[in-house]
Amino acid sequence: MIRTLRRASNRLLGSLWGHRRADDLTEELEAHIRLLTEEHIRRGLPPEEARRQARVQFGSVESTKESCRDQRGLPALDAIVQDLRYGFRGLRKNPGFAAVAILSLAVGIGGNTAIFSLVNGVLLQPLAYKDPHRVFAVREVYPRLGGQVPVNPVHALAWAKECPSVEQVAVMRGNRADLTSGGEPVSIPGVDVPHNLFALFGVEPILGRAFLADEEREGTDRVVILSESLWRSRFNADPSMVGKSIVIDRQNHQVIGIIPGWFQPSYGISSATNVRFEIFRPLVLGQQERLRLTGNHNYAADIRLRSGATAAQALAEINVVQARFPRLAGIDSELKASLISAHELVAGRARLGLWMLAAAVGAVLLIVCINLANLLLSRIASRSREAAIRTALGASRGRQFRMVLTESLLLAVTGGALGILFAAWLVQLLVAATTLNIPRLDEIRLDSGVLGFSCFLTVLTGLVFGLLPAWRLSRGDPQEALRAGSHTVTGGRRGLRLREGLISLEVGLSAALLIFAGLLISSLTRLLQVEKGFDAGNILTVDLSLSGDLYADETNREGFFERLLARVSAIPGVLASGFVTQLPVRGQTWNDPIYLEGTDRRHTVDNRYASPGYFRAMNIAMRQGRAFDESDRGRGVAVLSEKAAKLLWPGEANPVGRRFVGEDDKPKTLIGVIAEVRAVLHHDPPPMAYYPYWQRVPGGGALVIRTAGNAYAAAGALRAALRSEDPQLPIRDVHTMEEVVDRSLAERKFQSTLVMTFAASALLVACLGIYGVVSYSVACRRNEIGIRMALGAQRAHLLGLVVRHGMAPVVLGLAAGVGVALFLSRAIRGLLFGVQPTDPITIAGVTVVLLVIGGLACLIPARRAAGTDAIAALRFE
Amino acid sequence: MNAKADVWQGTLALMVLKTLYAMGPQHGYGIARRIEQASDNLLSINHGTLYPVLLKLEQEGAIKSEWGVSENNRRAKFYRITKSGQKQLALEVNPWGQATEIVGRFLALKGVKT
Repeated sequence: MIRTLRRASNRLLGSLWGHRRADDLTEELEAHIRLLTEEHIRRGLPPEEARRQARVQFGSVESTKESCRDQRGLPALDAIVQDLRYGFRGLRKNPGFAAVAILSLAVGIGGNTAIFSLVNGVLLQPLAYKDPHRVFAVREVYPRLGGQVPVNPVHALAWAKECPSVEQVAVMRGNRADLTSGGEPVSIPGVDVPHNLFALFGVEPILGRAFLADEEREGTDRVVILSESLWRSRFNADPSMVGKSIVIDRQNHQVIGIIPGWFQPSYGISSATNVRFEIFRPLVLGQQERLRLTGNHNYAADIRLRSGATAAQALAEINVVQARFPRLAGIDSELKASLISAHELVAGRARLGLWMLAAAVGAVLLIVCINLANLLLSRIASRSREAAIRTALGASRGRQFRMVLTESLLLAVTGGALGILFAAWLVQLLVAATTLNIPRLDEIRLDSGVLGFSCFLTVLTGLVFGLLPAWRLSRGDPQEALRAGSHTVTGGRRGLRLREGLISLEVGLSAALLIFAGLLISSLTRLLQVEKGFDAGNILTVDLSLSGDLYADETNREGFFERLLARVSAIPGVLASGFVTQLPVRGQTWNDPIYLEGTDRRHTVDNRYASPGYFRAMNIAMRQGRAFDESDRGRGVAVLSEKAAKLLWPGEANPVGRRFVGEDDKPKTLIGVIAEVRAVLHHDPPPMAYYPYWQRVPGGGALVIRTAGNAYAAAGALRAALRSEDPQLPIRDVHTMEEVVDRSLAERKFQSTLVMTFAASALLVACLGIYGVVSYSVACRRNEIGIRMALGAQRAHLLGLVVRHGMAPVVLGLAAGVGVALFLSRAIRGLLFGVQPTDPITIAGVTVVLLVIGGLACLIPARRAAGTDAIAALRFE
Repeated sequence: MNAKADVWQGTLALMVLKTLYAMGPQHGYGIARRIEQASDNLLSINHGTLYPVLLKLEQEGAIKSEWGVSENNRRAKFYRITKSGQKQLALEVNPWGQATEIVGRFLALKGVKT
């Protein structure tokens, strides 16, 4: 056994160091023959005869060498090394082909690796919680209004008590926390959570402890848990932080624990799911909050199912509880709930887009493969004589097959290695693009799983584009190839059929990709042109949040806004300025009911508090009546959007002057009806109600100013105004309103740019393919063309002939591609806006583009063919 | 390579080991001569066939080789038997002896006429 092993390892080494050993052997054998010759001479033979005798006695030197060589290395390994050497030589001889092949593979494999790392990180990796399949986020549903809304805490507490399938419930509320300790004042996302939140997710603090039930009360709630990332970045991972006091929202909080950096509760409210909460404080539910049976859908809730319980059971139990609340509140409305798995909450929104990207980039790689197979096939056509000679000399078919496959694997591996480097760069770029609202983006990296995937992909790619050419080459009939001599018309034709089929495939895939890209891009342009309800030009905005004891008092907040608005409107170049609790296109907010006094019908609308200047600053059109102004102080007034007015007074043409009850349960007089404004760009505007900010002074929102010229010119003055009003106020980034709109489209832009890039590269590759095949067929038909010309064929006629032949597979592929796209585009309906998946304009456009580009790719070789000199072509034979 | 050669190679390997064991380091020519002499020149081998056997033994670690200077001041490759080669020799000598004895006895049987 050991002997065999040792021999095997020696043979392996022999394979690698074969050359030196072979020289050694030659010398040794020569020495042996010399000794034999000398002996014969000693015995008295003449030198000539002695040498002959010695050779006879020794036997064949060559066959000795050969049997030693066979024995020394591993023949299979030697063959591979030889094939590799041969492959390298072939590629070196043809650097253009090698470069095109390797680069296209690098792009294909790199793109796939990068997209896979996204898919893997976002969709496939399980969340790091304990039993994540038992954790769900809950949203409440008003079936009649057709909308999901966040959670009312009273409802959630009832589920915890009454539903046997629900083990734990955690209600929480996100906020901004102004942190003044440890550096410049900053405002970072925080969340108020119940003491059982960490237990619900099965997460232990890495330092310190979790909250106690006792800390959910006013007075004992000045404790805070920091995220590991905040602790590291701002407090240098100082372990003595636990127990220390830090200032948040201008109040002292004792740090009691540090929670692992990866942990994020499933927060199902914000449209921006990649908000990362860094500051956790205990949730204190005041008496008021505990009494509001309806409305107040301002909380997020997560539940953990009891082990063994199903989501359907839990939902049924929750819905039983839900049915009670409208009845208790005397509202004629149905109330249900829906459960969203923790994973779905994180990945759900991104799923469709990511799978689409994966499919698109996969199609690109497939096209690259098909194209390489095509290029290799044409190389093989020119090598068929060489192959025939090899076969005639005794090379086995398997060996020929392996040789071509080795060459393609060599290309694939080189391309794959480059591609992985390319992917590493791409992933870095993706992660750095923080405007992208992709969940778990920061967790994405090229880990071993992703690398394994790209290695697998590399080998698969090499096999896919290498098998067909290898099979063809090894199958060729050497006799025919040798007999046919230089004009291999018949063999060429058969190869051509196959290559035309491949062209159809390439064109079909490119057509489908182009149609998808076209649909996405026309969705994007429609979104950009959609009637937003306001004018985003020349507007500067900055987010504000007022916190701490100073602003706990409503009159202090009111004073702040009043003075700030006065200061800001005095900035030179400012045409109008205002304040609102939530900017448009940033999502829905404050969903609470309004109603007519004395009726039961509650109408949930999107409630916003604004300053009088807001509508003018945003250029929102008044439909009826007027906006509120300073003279409305002391009176309950409101402005409703057209939809909201229709909800309250369905039949009335001009309801201005009518009265209703606002979200604060106080009577309001309608003084104006205003145009619809989109809360999210890709959804129809919700019904909205606006109130003057002094009626319920908010703790935060956004300041907007409209300037005469370039909005950014006023940024410095805006910051200065904020600083001088309150030097301790954390100032967040100042943006133009156009940037705010842009940011809400970042993900779509990213998607459509990528798909467009994929489609464009697919088109380019397909063009190369068409060009290659038509050139090849023209070369094959040189004689025929020469004869036609000699017989008097017109140039135009010949052009037409070649183009017609070249375009046949293009048209076939185009038809197939359009069919596939029609069938598949329904799957991406969710990514489209204002465009049907079967949009005829997009399809027609893609058809024209492909036909024109395909025609051009045919025309170049066709012109060459038509310019052929008849005599030369015929003599060529 | 046919089956006959394989058998021959096995036998030859044993002879090479025995030669190196008995005579100390030798070059290929010396081994060939020695085998011819030991068999009283009854056994005449093609010297070339020795080399694949030497290579195989070396790969198995039964012998080692190094370049040296022959008796007539020429560069030559010398082979010597290793510890593991001696073990291999000891293991194979007995069965070989038994086998030849049995075959010899068998061939010595007188035919029984019927």
